[in-house]
Formats: sequence, C-alpha cells, structure tokens
Amino acid sequence: MDDQSGTAPVAAGTTPVVPGIGHAPAVWAAGLVRLRVNGEPRSGVAEPRTLLSDFLRHELGLTGTHVGCEQGACGSCAVLVDGELTLSCLALAVQADGCAVETVEGIAHGSRLHPLQQAFQLKHGLQCGFCTPGMLVAARALLAATPDPSEQQVREHLSGNVCRCTGYTGIVDAVLEAARALRESGEPGA
Amino acid sequence: MTAARYVGARVLRVEDPAFLMGRAHYLDDITPPGTLHAAFLRSPHAHARLVSIDTSRALMLEGVHAAVTGHDLRDEPPFTTTIPTRPECKTGTRRLLTIDKVRHVGEPVAVVVARNRYIAEDALDLIHVEYELLAAVMDPEAALAPDAPLIHEELGDNDFATIRFSAGDPDAVFARAPHTFAKRFHFGRTHAAPLEGRGVIGDWDAVSGRVTVWTSTQMPHLVRGLLAGQFGLPENRLRVICPAVGGGFGLKVTLFVEEAIIPLLSRQLARPVKWVEDRYEALAASGHSKEVVMEVEVATAADGRFLALRGSYIGDGGAYLAHPWTSLIDPLCAASFLPSFYDVQDVSYIVRTPFTNKCPAVAYRGVGWTSGQVAREALIDDVARELGIDPVEIRLRNAIPDGEPYLTATGASYDGGSFSESMRRAAELVGYDQLRVRQAALRREGRYLGIGVSPFVEQGGWAARIAAVNGFPGFAYLDSVGVTMEPDGTVTVASGFQANGQGHETTLAQVVADELSVPFESIRVVQGDTDAVPYATGSYGSRTAVVGGGAAMRAAGDVRTKLLRLGAHLLEASPDDVELADGHIRVKGSPAQAVTVKQAAAAAYFGPRPDDLDPALSATRSYDPPETYSNACIVAVVEVDAQTGKVVVERLLAVEDCGTIVNPLVVDGQVSGALAQAVGAVLYEGLPYDTDGQFRAGSLADFLYPQATEVPAIEVSHLETPSPVTEGGFKGMGEGGLIGGPAAIVNAIADALAPFGARIERTPLRPCDVLELIERGGERDRAS
Repeated sequence: MDDQSGTAPVAAGTTPVVPGIGHAPAVWAAGLVRLRVNGEPRSGVAEPRTLLSDFLRHELGLTGTHVGCEQGACGSCAVLVDGELTLSCLALAVQADGCAVETVEGIAHGSRLHPLQQAFQLKHGLQCGFCTPGMLVAARALLAATPDPSEQQVREHLSGNVCRCTGYTGIVDAVLEAARALRESGEPGA
Repeated sequence: MTAARYVGARVLRVEDPAFLMGRAHYLDDITPPGTLHAAFLRSPHAHARLVSIDTSRALMLEGVHAAVTGHDLRDEPPFTTTIPTRPECKTGTRRLLTIDKVRHVGEPVAVVVARNRYIAEDALDLIHVEYELLAAVMDPEAALAPDAPLIHEELGDNDFATIRFSAGDPDAVFARAPHTFAKRFHFGRTHAAPLEGRGVIGDWDAVSGRVTVWTSTQMPHLVRGLLAGQFGLPENRLRVICPAVGGGFGLKVTLFVEEAIIPLLSRQLARPVKWVEDRYEALAASGHSKEVVMEVEVATAADGRFLALRGSYIGDGGAYLAHPWTSLIDPLCAASFLPSFYDVQDVSYIVRTPFTNKCPAVAYRGVGWTSGQVAREALIDDVARELGIDPVEIRLRNAIPDGEPYLTATGASYDGGSFSESMRRAAELVGYDQLRVRQAALRREGRYLGIGVSPFVEQGGWAARIAAVNGFPGFAYLDSVGVTMEPDGTVTVASGFQANGQGHETTLAQVVADELSVPFESIRVVQGDTDAVPYATGSYGSRTAVVGGGAAMRAAGDVRTKLLRLGAHLLEASPDDVELADGHIRVKGSPAQAVTVKQAAAAAYFGPRPDDLDPALSATRSYDPPETYSNACIVAVVEVDAQTGKVVVERLLAVEDCGTIVNPLVVDGQVSGALAQAVGAVLYEGLPYDTDGQFRAGSLADFLYPQATEVPAIEVSHLETPSPVTEGGFKGMGEGGLIGGPAAIVNAIADALAPFGARIERTPLRPCDVLELIERGGERDRAS
C-alpha cells in the first residue's frame, strides 16, 4: 500500500502541535469506512475530510473514477451511491459508509463490454477517455430512469458532464444507440 | 503498396475498451511505492517583489518532508528560451522558482512535499510570504509603451520580438486601390483546458543513476532531451513515461517548470514525488492561448477582388515564454497565414510579442491561425456588407484555384486542394439560399438568425518545412517509427508520437496493416515510454497522420521488402517475380504458388532464408515531409436573442479535405471536438483579469466549458484530394475545426446583428457582450 491520505490513523491526544496554529488538521482521527463497491464489500481508512473520490481512487485502488475539477463542475468523478448519481469529489468518504457505490469498473460483465460501452466505441463517443467513466455512469442513471430518451433529454441529462474532445456528437449518438440496443435486448437500464 | 483495405475504413478504435472499463492509467492513477506528494504555493499578485519567504512553520507540520523556495533552487539553471534562427528575438530566461519577483497570479513561489496531498496543501497555509506590490501591466498594447513598467528588467523592454514581413508592394497597391477596408479585432484569451490537467512524477534513483519522469505530455522525447539538459544528465539516463493523456490540445507541447522541479525534489528526498495540478492551477497557471490584438486591412478592386493585405498582430505572451516555442506561436502563425485561402500576392505584416503580467501564452489547437482567421474573415464580411456582395460569392471570387500547386505570398507551397469546391459544397449542404430566405422572414418577426462562413487552408504535418513557413526556420525534426514483425507474423509498431486522444493505436495500425498485408488485429502499437519507442518530437500541429503515418509506411516498406525476399526464397523464385497480397507472398501470374506472411516471418527467425539477407524483420524509419495543406469550410448558423443577448448555435457544418483519410471515424471526431472548442472560445470561455491583474476565472463556475446543451449535433462532410507529395497522400488534420470554427461563429453573430449596425471587434461574446453590441450599434446609428 502506498503512503496515501488516510492510511496513517493517529490516535486523538497524540496529534503534534504546531507552534501558533495548534493541532494540525491533517491528523484528525481517521476511521474505517465500510461500504459495498460494485457489489463487493470493501473497507478502508478515511479521515473525516477525505473525499469519496480520493478514497475510491487511492484507498481502494479504483482509479477508473477520475477527478477533473474537484469543484463539482465537470462530472468526471460521477458514481452511483445507493443508486443516486453523485459527484464523488463533492462527497466525503465517511458519507458513503454503509452505502452501495457503483463505479465505472462495475459496468462491464467481466471482460465483456456492456451495451452502453459498446455503443460508445461504435459511435466514437470517446477520445482521450478521461470524461468517459463519468459519462457512462451518468448515462446509466439516465437509461435506468428513462429507457427511451429523446436527443434533447440525453443532452440535458449529460449537461453536468464535460467532454473536451468529442464535441458530444458521438456521446449523444452512443447513448441513443445504447438505449435502442438495451430496449431490443429486453434489459433496459441494465 | 498493396491494395488499401484498412486505410479509409471506419475501423473501431482498439484503445477504447480499456478506457470504457476504467482500466486505462492516467498520470494520477500511478503511484510508485514510497511516493511523496507535492503542492505549490502560488502568487496571489500579478506583479510584486518577493521581500521574504518563511517556510519554517510549514516544515514543522507532521508529515511534511520539504518546503522549497527559489533560494533553494538558485543554483539550478534557468529555462532559456528563444528562437535562435530569428535575429529579431530576445532570449528569455526563467528560474524554476522565482527569487526576485512574481510576474503573474498563479506563478509558483514555493513547493511543499508531504506524506499526502492534503498535508502538503495544509502546509502551504503556513508559509508566510511578504510581497511588495508593483504596477501590473495587463494590456498588451500598453505593455509596448516606452514608459511601461518592465516585466523582465534585463530585457530592456517588454517586447520579446518585433518581426516584419513584406511581399510584393502592398503599400503601393493600397495607395491606388478603389477601396480599402480595415478591421481591429482583439481575440480573447482562451484555454486548451484538457480535462486531465498537468501532472508529473519524478523518481531520481541515485543508486542506478537513472531518472524516471512520468508526465502528461504530447512530446515525451522532447521532455527527455530538455530535462537532460536542465539536469546535466546524459539523455539515456532519463526515461520519460507518458501514460494515458486526458487531452492535450497543444497545451502539453510545452515544458513547464513543474516538470523540472518535481524530479529535483525527488533527487533531494530520495523518494518518488508526485504533483497533479488542481483546476485552479490549470486555469491560472498552466498556459493561456490565442490572445492577439489585430488590425487587418484589405485593398479591393471595385468588384470586390482582393488586391493586397496588411496585418498587425500583437500577441499577448503573458509573463514568461512558452518553452521551447516562445510567445511567437500565436501572432507569428496568425500573420504567416494572412492570405490563407485567398489569391493575394501583395502582403505585409508586423508581429509584436509583449510580455504582460498574465499567465504565459502557450500553444492550443490551431495556435494563432485561429485568431488570424477570425480577424481576416470578419474583415471580409465587413467588405461584403459594404460592397453589397454575398459573403460566399466574395470569397469564391478571391479563392486560390482548386487542384493546382500554389505559392502564397508568405511562402507556403500548397499542394493542391478543393478550396472553392469545399465552400460550394458547404453552402449547398447547409442550404445557404434557403437560409437567407428564412433569415429575412424571421427578421420580420423580430428574430435574428445569422449565417457565417469560414473557409481556410490548414497546415498539415508540422515539421521542418512547415515550421519555416510559419516563421520558425532552420530547425530539423527527427520523427521516427519502428516496425517489427515478430516470429509468428504479428507486428509491433513503436511510435514516439504520443497520442492524447487521437487514436494512434488504431490509425497507425491501419497504415501498417495495409503495407504488410496482415490483419489489423495482428498489429499492436506501443507508445508512451522513451525506453520503448524510437525518437519522435511528438504529437502536435496535425502532424501524426502525415509524419508518423509516413514514417510507419517507410519502416513497414523496409520490412515488406525483406518479406518478399524471404517468400521468394521459400518459393524458389526471384524476388522480382513475387508479390505481396492478401496476407500471402505469391508468384506473379501463378497465384497457387504462395506462402503466407506468417511463414515468411518464421523463415526470417528460424530459416530457411537467403544467406545474403540480414534477417532482422525490423526497421526504424523517419519522415520529414514536404509541405502539405488541408483545406475546409465551416458554416455556422446562429440565432441571437436581442432581448437577452443569448446566442444559440443552431448548426455547425464542416466540409473538410485532409487528403487520404486514414479513418473517417477519427477524422469526424477531431472535427467535431474542435468545433465544440470553437463554440467555447467564442461564446463562453473568457479568462478575464481585472486592471490590477487579479485573475477572475479560477474555477469552472467562471471558465465555462460548452456542454452537451450548448453544442449542436455537428455535421461533417468530406472531400478527398490526396496530397501528390506526401507518403500515402495524407495531408494532416485535427486543428481545423478550431481554426475555422470561431470565425464562422463570429461572422454568424455579426450577420444576425447586422440590422443593429453592430460591429464585432472582440471575443468572447457572452450575453452581456452581445447586448452591448446591440446598444452600441444603435447609438452609432442615431449618431450618423
């Protein structure tokens, strides 16, 4: 394990004191967070201030969830928490304690691409791939609720996710294509 | 050359599954064991003397390993940046961390290394810096005034270079022309803003003497060479690893001081050190682009034919020179393409490059061609309105003839294109005549539709000759690709052209598959590690299809020649009597006599093989292409709400001709993405500073990316005029949407606002700016 945030819990009362500033905020007591991620029980150490995105990426090693802004503006870090579309850079790891989290790593069936992922490849809905995990998670949430969206619905739903490469044309086509494929296969929103 | 099977086909990208499954690794997904984490303290002031820095309290924080200032790095050589082949240029120097003063908001003044990033950022708050404020120079024209405060005192003034050019006798033509027109345009700062920002990991291994640098770049070998020089290390001791890159768009063809500082921190601490920029750092302190203040003039005949062009380009270079390209990359490229699509031989320009107290100017897709295109095309629409000629018609009247070689006034040798054809096709596809009817009908209802056209010529494949045409003469480029056929007939392609979203693992494989007549699936493209791939300067300037594709074709051609000899030997035939097709080497005229490519490959390694053949089935070849140019025409249709100033982009259409298309899927994606960036640059992405130099766009609540709701479904259509001069006929593309797009959108808005007499002279055009244009236009009408 690398020496990342939250991996060195410090017992209360032993926190070093910096002259003039008191207790260093970085070492406020860390605790264990237990949750389910992509169906598996996982646990890890988080400080109260550890972001869910950092916890998933650096504590659990799920680096498919990306951090593009830490301002809740780009959507790269989108995950589902108990089925709700959530920006993991605006959530704390401790808030996900006891929750079920779904990330991009949970979308494919083993090494077989999910129809939504297949549609992204078919329609060239990705270039550099950095926004892609957030796009896929957001699109899944849309298709679960709205199996037959219009183009405008797709655009509005994805308006919280920035893509700097594609101009969105391929992404919108991909989501519409996936919706069609999922309806035909009888597993809408799967 | 065997018959094309893959080149030209809409081959799905082989890189996609890893990205789609979250399995690709970007820089921040890599954390070597023992890694420490860095955070930079950045200046809150635009221009200030550094009186003192006290890091002592930061060092006391538990988990902090180092707090480093400019004084600690004072013995490290500075970045030294110039264009040595241009005597007009001064030489800029930049310390890795400043000692004397800060020159823009966001400039790094100290760096903390700690156990994790959270602690490193906590420690930044404990550093005390005393500044003495200096007058900030925020306006590029004011920066050139003789009494302007100096940003780099040692240079004597704020101008990096003044460059003049003249061909023919434009002043004489202007003096006697029936009409002359002038336009001022201040193209606003914008930002490449790749979704993945910059990031660096340094691992300085004192025991082995090897230094490994992971960095998110478009130019791994150039980073290696520049850092080796910086560190005084033999180049083969440095290894640059470039993982998946979350977008570059030209920004990452700069060497940044952070890329030098982080490995030095690793040297000091004997631990890997990682820094990943946050969004504020990206916006305030990576690089801004395309801000050029322009004045362009055209002299015309009575019938609207262009007789001469003159241009003045003042490129706001910001506080430091982009290393190694300098701040000329915007204004000089803008000036060099002043004639672009138009047949005008009397042309002059002046380029100036002031330093200001803003974020340094760096390359961004289309560099200054974007800004220059906007000024020229906006001027041409003014001329069309004044002379009562349709904007499409006036451009067709002045276009360079289709299909023929053409030498421009600024020295570019065009290799033939579909200039007028692309424009006619674009007008036809968009339904230009019907749009004009609809526009007139809507105006009667008080609705303002606008149509903007923007044809252009795009350099394809930046290398020695094209660089010279753009004002950067006298540099050679070495760009190579390695092709190896393995014993089982599969092929490994090693490419130093670093993809950052363009899909090289697919497109280079398509090119090589056709050359070797092997299945696409049998090819694997390796990139991203200077230890694993041969030298190339990288991926920028729409160059990889032309330069990389050409080098790959040549290397594969060498391997093919050996395969033919091996096959002939197996067939007991003369090499002249065999041919390669459909995965087989066959005796010509006797197709039943054949061996597979796989059998020939095995023979190279294990025999039987000719005694006089070097059996190594591997070749590394370079390609330094002749000049080649793509062309395209963009059409934008917008509707402006005169009450709110909101602009809705209804349609964006491109007809592009990049010669032989390797993969239309990828080409469409490049055009579409670049056009979305054009929407952003014109309508949303301002990077304002106030007059004191405070930066007003430090978050994504201020710098607005266009989102899926702001970009229309982009329409892309292709013409294909293969280059007669390059390998494969490739012309290169990728930047064009952002070269031609902004001008099309600006002209569409100007067209929509024509009833108000509005004159557009700057970007961005946010709703407040559009309302101001409407009000000012009205005032002008009342005054006249």
